[in-house]
Amino acid sequence: MNKIKHIFLLTAGVLALGACKPEVDTLVATTQGTADFSRYIAVGNSLTSGFADGGLYREGQLNSFPAIIAEQMKKVGGGEFTQPLFTEQQADGSGYLMLKSLSAEGLPVTQQIAPAAVRGQITVPTSATSTVNVTLYTKYTGDINNYGVPGIKLLTSTLPAYGNLNGYFERLLPNSAPNNNTSYIDFVTAKPFTFFSNWLGNNDALGYATAGGASDELTDKATFSALYNQVLNKLTMGGQKGVVATIPDVTSIPYFNTVTVNAILATVKKANPSVQALYINARVSSETANTTYAARPATAADLVVLTFPTSKIGQPVATPAGNLPYGLTPLTPIENQYVLDVNEAARARDYVASYNTTIKAVAASKGIAVADIYTFLNGIKQNGLVENGINLSSQYISGGLFSLDGIHLTPRGYAVVANEFIKAINKQYGSDIPQANISAYRGVKFP
Amino acid sequence: MRKILLALMAMLPAVAFSQGFQVNLGGQKQIGMGHTGTGLVQDGASVFFNPGAVAMLPENSIQAGISPLLFKSVFNPSGTDAQYRTANKVATPFSAYAVWGPKASSWKLGLGVYTPFGGLTDWGNNWQGKYVLQSLDLKAIFFQPTLSIKLADFISIGGGFVYSHGIVNLKRAIPVADANGQDGQAELKGSGHGYGWNAGVFMKTESGITVGISYRSKATTTIESGNAIFRVPSALQSSFPQPNTFRAGIPLPSTTSLGLGFYPSKQWTLALDANLVAWHVYKSLDFDYAQNTPTLQDTHSPRLYRDGFSLRGGAEYKPVTKWAIRGGGGYSSTAAQDGYVTPEVPDANRYYLTAGLGYKVANRLDLDLSFEYEHLFKRTQTNIEANFAGTYKSNVYIPGVSLTYHW
Repeated sequence: MNKIKHIFLLTAGVLALGACKPEVDTLVATTQGTADFSRYIAVGNSLTSGFADGGLYREGQLNSFPAIIAEQMKKVGGGEFTQPLFTEQQADGSGYLMLKSLSAEGLPVTQQIAPAAVRGQITVPTSATSTVNVTLYTKYTGDINNYGVPGIKLLTSTLPAYGNLNGYFERLLPNSAPNNNTSYIDFVTAKPFTFFSNWLGNNDALGYATAGGASDELTDKATFSALYNQVLNKLTMGGQKGVVATIPDVTSIPYFNTVTVNAILATVKKANPSVQALYINARVSSETANTTYAARPATAADLVVLTFPTSKIGQPVATPAGNLPYGLTPLTPIENQYVLDVNEAARARDYVASYNTTIKAVAASKGIAVADIYTFLNGIKQNGLVENGINLSSQYISGGLFSLDGIHLTPRGYAVVANEFIKAINKQYGSDIPQANISAYRGVKFP
Repeated sequence: MRKILLALMAMLPAVAFSQGFQVNLGGQKQIGMGHTGTGLVQDGASVFFNPGAVAMLPENSIQAGISPLLFKSVFNPSGTDAQYRTANKVATPFSAYAVWGPKASSWKLGLGVYTPFGGLTDWGNNWQGKYVLQSLDLKAIFFQPTLSIKLADFISIGGGFVYSHGIVNLKRAIPVADANGQDGQAELKGSGHGYGWNAGVFMKTESGITVGISYRSKATTTIESGNAIFRVPSALQSSFPQPNTFRAGIPLPSTTSLGLGFYPSKQWTLALDANLVAWHVYKSLDFDYAQNTPTLQDTHSPRLYRDGFSLRGGAEYKPVTKWAIRGGGGYSSTAAQDGYVTPEVPDANRYYLTAGLGYKVANRLDLDLSFEYEHLFKRTQTNIEANFAGTYKSNVYIPGVSLTYHW
């Protein structure tokens, strides 16, 4: 019996040892440095709101980059972070795109999910002669930390009447359109806060770019500078700290790099080998003053938008010279709104560069952290990004970062961006907000 | 027209082996003494430690032992406060030996069945490194018939042929979300075999010190037709054809050992061992899939291992004939260079401490208990291939028991 006892004792000893876990000294997330995260507010547009797949819906909101940052901030004393979520009953929000299938050639087929939170539509006059249709959503009442409003520009963030023109903003306001007269910046600063993120300014260039340079205009550089100062003065009026982000190169997103001139041309040539070129209606100069457009053959430097209905190519178009195929002759060029031509793209790049110079200068003058998302996303476009064994890139769908609209990010993309913000905050204020785990967030959903 | 190349590249698994996968659990008496034995004549485990010493064994014997192994590892991703731990799963390395020769003859035959390489690492499906590895279960079982000949009273030689049987099961998440946001998964499982040999020489010097030198060759174990299972959303199924098979070679490296035995008194035996493990053969790990697609390409992952060494020492004290008390320890250098450490085995320099107890249950029956504790030093690493950065720390707990019948 004695030896059995020995074995028993040894086994017990081993089990006791086995219960000892190895420990490592992890990052001790204790300090918020010189910042105060007790009430963090997020100021910005669709990218701040969690907009994805061409819509604002609950899952996207839950994975917004400010929500991810706030969750990490809590580990160093950050406070509650409340988002103006669509309810679970109306989780589909504005409606959004879903990947329905992939064709045999690997082409995505998307499907529109119907909106769930639309409460109506109104027509609002914007001048004596023009009106705009505004879709209104179920009102949100309650505390707000994430003030992201899809569609808002820096240019419109100070307009008192903007709450009547943007359904996503109207949704947050106490009054119904057309009776609002509180500017966005006044609204977001009405309640005291200790820390902010500000990623306004994307739409000041993106609106122009996604419209193919056809219907929107780039915000004037001097105006941008004046407004950015004004907004940041307001946000730091009580000595608050914060983080701002630079504007990504609008031409670095899949929206402009997926349907390419060469790909369209190659397909056309398969059916009709005699076709030599696609024709586009293009801006003849990148100078702001020269707004002349003329038809010319497209080159690889002209960027076709993701939403271009390629079935239009070759369709007969009535012209003075008779019916001619769409997109294949100088008389029937691809329309302006489908192409960000080389001169339009140059203008967008030039303005974004100027905006970013402003953003960095204003932030520096106030000692505010800068998340340089412009440089970060350009780096990914050039080299991709490998992290935790995941290959991320700027590719549409397969890249994992960009959602189905080719402009906004996936939850994983937002987590990657949140980590860039966290790095910038920690660097500026000596805080130690832990990095988020990007592996826990999804890329594009496949059927 | 929206032609997208689903270049979901490099989402394919790779297996790494390292010092961590060399199990070094050749026999309970030897484990108790810091896993020394190349320069000693203890029991049938000489088949493993030094086939040259087998002919010096005074008796015929048959023995079997098992060493349940608990590998506990923790990982802290850089810049976070998170800690991830491997699941408590017990691997079961074992060893069994038979040695026989006519009494008073100058030769002996031996047979060894043992598990010199293996690993069981399960990080779970939801940790930060799930796209690098979820779990790995690897075993290599060696079958080794051996012949040993005593050339003179003071010298014997021996050699054996090794047949290795390898079994692997590796799981890794694939970063493609399905409609519910769940990851895809790759599972590679299969078995294969390889061949090798070993040889050794054992000498008794005039000063009473015994010396052993042994060499165990590389045994590249090839999985010719493993099962490559990919669980992906149905829209991507054509990119990951099923069923599919893979071919992979696992280079199990050679080990060269030098051992010394000292006998200061009748009660005491002291031993020293030095090993050189030629891990440099492990330059890259290649998976060759039977069916490739633009997404599913063969993979070639650089490993660039360097040779590792171990130094071990141990002692045995027999206060009375029935009992033996053993102790020992050692140090092993890592085979994985900076930048190539993976969670499959978060290899690092390590030390180990061992203890053992031997008891003569009956005249011909020995019971041996052993316990080994290994500590892998904390290592902060960024894996280059996966850009996976963090700090690993691991402990290994290995109890063991064996029975030996000798006549």
